[in-house]
Amino acid sequence: MLAYIVRRLLWTPVLLVIVSAIVFALGHYGPGDPVQIQLGQQFTEERAERLKESRGLNDPVYEQYGRYVWNALHFDFGESFQFQGRGVSELLGPKLKVSAQLFLAASIITIGFGVPLGYYSALKQGTWVDPAVVSSALVLYAIPVFLTAPVLIILFALKLDWVPVSGWGGLFDTQVILPALTIGVPGIAVFTRIMRASTLDVLGQDFVRTARAKGVPEHVVNYRHVGRNALIPVLTIIGFSLSGLLGGALIVELIYGIPGVGRFALDAIFARDFPVIMALSLIGAASLVIANLVVDILYAVVDPRIRYQ
Amino acid sequence: MLRKLIASGLTLLLIGAVACSGGGDEPSLASDVAATAAPSGGIEISPALGGNPTPTASAAQSVLDDKSGGTLKILGGDPPTLDPALVSDTSSARIILELFSGLVRLDNNLQIVPDVAETWAITEGGTVYTFTIRDDARFSDGTPITATDFKWAIERAANPDTESTVAELYLADIVGIQQIIDGNATSASGVEVLDDKTLRFRIDAPKAYFLAKLTYPTAFALKRDNVESGGRTWTDNPVGSGPFLLDEYRIGERLVLARNENYYDRPPYLDKVEINLAGGVAMAMYQADEIDLTGVGLADLDRVQDPNDPLNQDLVRVPPGFTTSYIGFNVDEPPFNDVKFRQALAHAIDKDLIAEQVFAGLVRPADGVLPPLFPGFNDGLDGLEFDPEKAQRLLAESSYPTLSDRDKRIVVTTQGTGGSPSLSIEVMADMWSQTLGVEVDIQQVEFATYLQDLYRNRLQSFFGAWEADYPDPQDWIDILFHSESPRNDGNYSNPDVDRLVEQARTEQDVVLRTQLYQEAEQLIIDDVAWLPVWWDTQGLALIKSRVQDYNFLPMTIEIFKDVWINE
Repeated sequence: MLAYIVRRLLWTPVLLVIVSAIVFALGHYGPGDPVQIQLGQQFTEERAERLKESRGLNDPVYEQYGRYVWNALHFDFGESFQFQGRGVSELLGPKLKVSAQLFLAASIITIGFGVPLGYYSALKQGTWVDPAVVSSALVLYAIPVFLTAPVLIILFALKLDWVPVSGWGGLFDTQVILPALTIGVPGIAVFTRIMRASTLDVLGQDFVRTARAKGVPEHVVNYRHVGRNALIPVLTIIGFSLSGLLGGALIVELIYGIPGVGRFALDAIFARDFPVIMALSLIGAASLVIANLVVDILYAVVDPRIRYQ
Repeated sequence: MLRKLIASGLTLLLIGAVACSGGGDEPSLASDVAATAAPSGGIEISPALGGNPTPTASAAQSVLDDKSGGTLKILGGDPPTLDPALVSDTSSARIILELFSGLVRLDNNLQIVPDVAETWAITEGGTVYTFTIRDDARFSDGTPITATDFKWAIERAANPDTESTVAELYLADIVGIQQIIDGNATSASGVEVLDDKTLRFRIDAPKAYFLAKLTYPTAFALKRDNVESGGRTWTDNPVGSGPFLLDEYRIGERLVLARNENYYDRPPYLDKVEINLAGGVAMAMYQADEIDLTGVGLADLDRVQDPNDPLNQDLVRVPPGFTTSYIGFNVDEPPFNDVKFRQALAHAIDKDLIAEQVFAGLVRPADGVLPPLFPGFNDGLDGLEFDPEKAQRLLAESSYPTLSDRDKRIVVTTQGTGGSPSLSIEVMADMWSQTLGVEVDIQQVEFATYLQDLYRNRLQSFFGAWEADYPDPQDWIDILFHSESPRNDGNYSNPDVDRLVEQARTEQDVVLRTQLYQEAEQLIIDDVAWLPVWWDTQGLALIKSRVQDYNFLPMTIEIFKDVWINE
């Protein structure tokens, strides 16, 4: 297994180089010019030239890219165009921390409710519980964030006055509840359905019947034989659900006034703050790659049969 | 300041900005503003005597005790910079104006009044300005402000290393500044320190709008040690001279201003101003008392106007910003090189219908370039009214009466990132098509590309908006339409307009000067160099009843000093 992990780790930088090259090319050759934005109404060719020169935007592209990658390896993503004199890492650090906490809280809700519900409804197949659980989850899934967020705000912040409308107090503050629910609840349906399907699949397998025939107690069958095996497909989804959650988090952060990367990213995009946009893309890609790596390793932990060569 | 970004997706942010940069006091009549903007030459002016009476110490103290204290909480956007030399947008300007001070400033009536300068004299036919700095003017660390601090700050702003994009616009009238901007000098002979408290500017021509330009932060005093020791992030700990200090700034989270106890004038009543930069649903935050002030969007219009809704108590009217939305034409490009064709287009637009039907009366039809209440605004301007028959007649008389005469499609470029262009521009395109049979393509590009193509004069015709930088018609009529101006994006060239605006630059008589601009504006409208479509009208905002003396104004000036909280 160690060999597998090492091999996967070696692949990670290759993926990141590809991602960074694409990101860099899009920024470099895309329409619009960051120098233009900064100069705005005061644009003249000479001024634009001067700014470009001072930022190294006139160097050959491969040099600019090489410099960028080298610095990025040292967690130096350059200086923000929009906030002059400030390093991108310095700007992004505190915001990523906030977003990561929010993401964690939302994941706990999604997985913490989704997996047990799916498992439970599979075991209750044929009763009213199963369709009730699945359809409630689907209804929640179908409600857009634009609707859930204001409804939650009106209900819990304005009518009941339990939590403030906006702001951030950290992972263990009550303020995290509404945004975490907004991001996390729709995802419950995904995990419920997958867990249910995979549990049903496992329930019908020979080894489960054999275990029952051997007289293994029902709860042991359910836990050791069914549960663990059913989790494997769920793990696959966790890696990918990361990107979806991140996307949803951007809007939710804006609505709840959370100082995470969401609003910051949006501002950066509108201001064409390339260093920030590129850093965010790289960090986003890196977290996806790493999450999937972790998932692959977890496969081996959950299922002893999986031994990578 | 910046060309206005319209139709953006950032409604939340914009509402926040409107709430805070909008304007409640009725601005004075345009001519009044112009009058102070152009004092006649050679006369010693000492407005401090009449304008800002300083109350006696004990009286001031008791007033202070009554109103002192409290925190104002508002929503805002991150200021891209806090460096007065670099500011080119309103969200930065509104903070910088609270932190730093210049020689002169704009008051609530948008008149130029003394700030750090006590008096000034304009001599030598309007080319020499001599300012006397107040004895009690101090930086926030207690050190006195001297003429040298102004000279250093102005020369720093012009220095290419500072990378200011606005220095040329605001300072280049001063003799020697252009050489600094071009990198050929580091000191300007036109900025002269006569003694610690006396500063003299020499400008290249008797330009009546020069004083107005000094209200812009590029000419504000800076403390040299503070700037030089702080490096590129010196604004993290700025030593300013405005009514407030920077107490805390966390990008994307919050910015807190605190009272500057060393302020030369009466210190502000508020202990703090907390600006929430993280966003949120403004209306809900307002209802939950998390902010004291919010703009009202279309979605909440009915609700706040209902007298039975508790929010109705807090409703105030906000005067419009000085903005004109227009269609510009590149007059070198066929078919727009024919004035009759342009006139036909102008007469085919029913601006009333757009204002009433598309914008539900939230804008008013625009006839001229200058927005209402702006200095020099001409109520008697002859606009090109909606007249389909005249439009058709003009089209027939033009060089491009039929489709086959126009060898290529007409493209109107507008900014935006949405899926479809705004309804207003589609309606205009439809009016041209219905009345004239002139078909146009609407090309929507994002703001950066729009600016890039616009500034390189690549666009055939363009839909945009212009917002005033300072209260002087020169900011519109000269900057946008003089044939040599870098911001004349449609290549418009009319020798008569050039002559009029050149004359107006140095005309010392306010009435005559206004007339010159108005004449030029009439020519511009007759030539349809611009087809003005609408002006903003007053907006609505909500403000908590505990907040007193918050003045909404059509331009960005310092406003928090007079605000107090009635607990």
